[in-house]
Amino acid sequence: MTVATASSPPRQPTDWNAGPMQRRIRARYRAEKRFRFYGLFAVLLSAGFLAFLLVTMVSSGARGFTQTQIALPVNFAGSDIFLEPGQLDGEDRDQLLARTDFQGLARQSAVAAYGEDGPALLSNGAWVLLRDAVSQDPSLLTRDETLWVPASTEVDFAARGDSGAHQTEERDAMIARYGQLESVDQVRRTLSWNFLTLADSSDPTLVGIWGALKGSLLTMTITLLLAFPIGVLTAVYLEEYAPENRWTDIIEVSINNLAAVPSIIFGLLGLAVFINVFYLPRSAAIVGGLTLALMTMPVIVIAGRNAIKSVPPSIRDAALGIGASPIQVLTHHVLPLSLPGILTGTIIGMSRSLGETAPLLLIGMRAFVATPPGGFTDPATVLPVQIFLWSDELDPGFVEKTSAAIIVLLLFLLAMNGIAIWLRNKYEQRW
Amino acid sequence: MNNVGDIMKDAMDTQAAVKADGPALAQDTLKMTARNVDVYYGEKQAISDVSIDIGMENVTAFIGPSGCGKSTFLRCLNRMNDTIPIARVTGQIELDDHDIYDPAMDVVQLRARVGMVFQKPNPFPKSIFENVAYGPRIHGLATNKAELDQIVEKSLIRAGLFEEVKDRLNDSGTALSGGQQQRLCIARAIAVDPEVILMDEPCSALDPIATAKIEELINDLRGKYAIVIVTHNMQQAARVSQRTAFFHLGTLVEYGETSDLFTNPSKDRTKDYITGRYG
Repeated sequence: MTVATASSPPRQPTDWNAGPMQRRIRARYRAEKRFRFYGLFAVLLSAGFLAFLLVTMVSSGARGFTQTQIALPVNFAGSDIFLEPGQLDGEDRDQLLARTDFQGLARQSAVAAYGEDGPALLSNGAWVLLRDAVSQDPSLLTRDETLWVPASTEVDFAARGDSGAHQTEERDAMIARYGQLESVDQVRRTLSWNFLTLADSSDPTLVGIWGALKGSLLTMTITLLLAFPIGVLTAVYLEEYAPENRWTDIIEVSINNLAAVPSIIFGLLGLAVFINVFYLPRSAAIVGGLTLALMTMPVIVIAGRNAIKSVPPSIRDAALGIGASPIQVLTHHVLPLSLPGILTGTIIGMSRSLGETAPLLLIGMRAFVATPPGGFTDPATVLPVQIFLWSDELDPGFVEKTSAAIIVLLLFLLAMNGIAIWLRNKYEQRW
Repeated sequence: MNNVGDIMKDAMDTQAAVKADGPALAQDTLKMTARNVDVYYGEKQAISDVSIDIGMENVTAFIGPSGCGKSTFLRCLNRMNDTIPIARVTGQIELDDHDIYDPAMDVVQLRARVGMVFQKPNPFPKSIFENVAYGPRIHGLATNKAELDQIVEKSLIRAGLFEEVKDRLNDSGTALSGGQQQRLCIARAIAVDPEVILMDEPCSALDPIATAKIEELINDLRGKYAIVIVTHNMQQAARVSQRTAFFHLGTLVEYGETSDLFTNPSKDRTKDYITGRYG
């Protein structure tokens, strides 16, 4: 040791105050400042985009939750329909209601109230409300009653007022008419639950999101019930039990690749396997759920394996060292400690499948479904597909409904992630 | 570097104190025996031909330079090496005359009988109470809550931790200081009522004061459990153990009474190591 020190050259004192040294220090500070600025810029930019998205969505979508309604005085007693309240107590009630010409009644009443062009002021489906009202309260048949029914798209547009360059004479006339009607309280805009309780319809004034929302709920239920346990068990097996050989390598590579496969391929797979081989019903939530589960599972497996891997070996040693069996080590220590990571993967996978459209188009979930699905095998559609379908409609009334549907989808996503994050924080442990 | 004389002076002081109230070595009863143990990691042989007897009444220390195989051998004694897929153990290790590598031996039960304390304190990220109660719970040692409370309290008292934590048994075990965490791990090992406690460098991550406490604790536990301690620190071996085994390059070089081994080593390699010529 001492020999080496003696032969080394004499130490040159470093001049920390020299010009180049000072410049280097200043450059270093500048670099750091610049870097921080880039980061801040990136954060602000993405926050700006997000704010822009939310503001446009809310401003154009909020109107979708409201409805323009028009007062329709209906003279049930003096009309052409020959129904007595007593008749509706029998078992053939639905048939009787279906046979009765409520459409005609609505038309007559509109003509009586608003003149020749009265029917054009009503939504095409306004008569359904008359029928429902009678179904609920048969005593209506014996008296006169003024009902609020949805107005047509034209009236709805007039309620918005001037629309600038696209203004036509007809629109101007309608706006004037709307003003008149409003002054005598025969039209109103009101917040309506209809959008949240009805299903798809060809008439934008009568569409609702409930059908698609329920379809999404059912589909996601299937996806979660399949993908979560299968994904976690796969991750546990591969991490804890699988021997390291060529087969497990192949499985590992396949799972990693599966997570990167374009989603439309999964749709084809679902079509080929679940519908053509297993004869599961087309357009049903169960097929959608199965297909999306295939897609979600690899994400959960990958996240799960990483989470299990990150449990410190000292914890396993500790548990094994006092005589815990391997399965006890797993269920008492490894899984609880890796649960936050597994849940993070599940959030990512589920969010992705909630927003997925392409694979579901292929298995028929883009069908026009006018009644909310009653179960897993009923024809259903899901929120993103519904948004896609409505954005394709020609009737301009669908524009705000599409935005409103997007708001519902985002809220659904937020609620789902909120629950998962709450669960994750609940189980989060520090060591 | 210490010379033999210094180490032995320390050691003899401690030994004298211990011997005053401890049982004499001659009374020792055999707890574990190892015969011709070889351990392989894949192709590499980590331990060759180690034979050793471990007594019930004494603290046995394994010393030796890094990588000499003392921890590897320790981990054979409760089959913790089973968790390493490439590890292979041959030879015979017996606990109370039963071969622990016999297929009939339940490894879960073995580890309850031969407890372990690790180098780095590794409490579970749970409350202090849960840390200690975990072992009794999985082995069904308590039939009701009151019994479990009692076991936990007794174990913490034995580990010398109870006074410090009795008001915060529900706090996280990981929030304790390093020395307290290690004593918590000892309490956790004691709670399943083992016959043998293996300690793998239990003080190497601790400061001198915490180390002193653990050493004191090991002295208190002597006689109640057969204790085997792996240590880097020769003074520590001299202070806490009655028997010392010196490992080098995967072989057991010398094994004997601690006082003999430090004052009068019979092998040159042992002498070189304890005088600090290598390690």
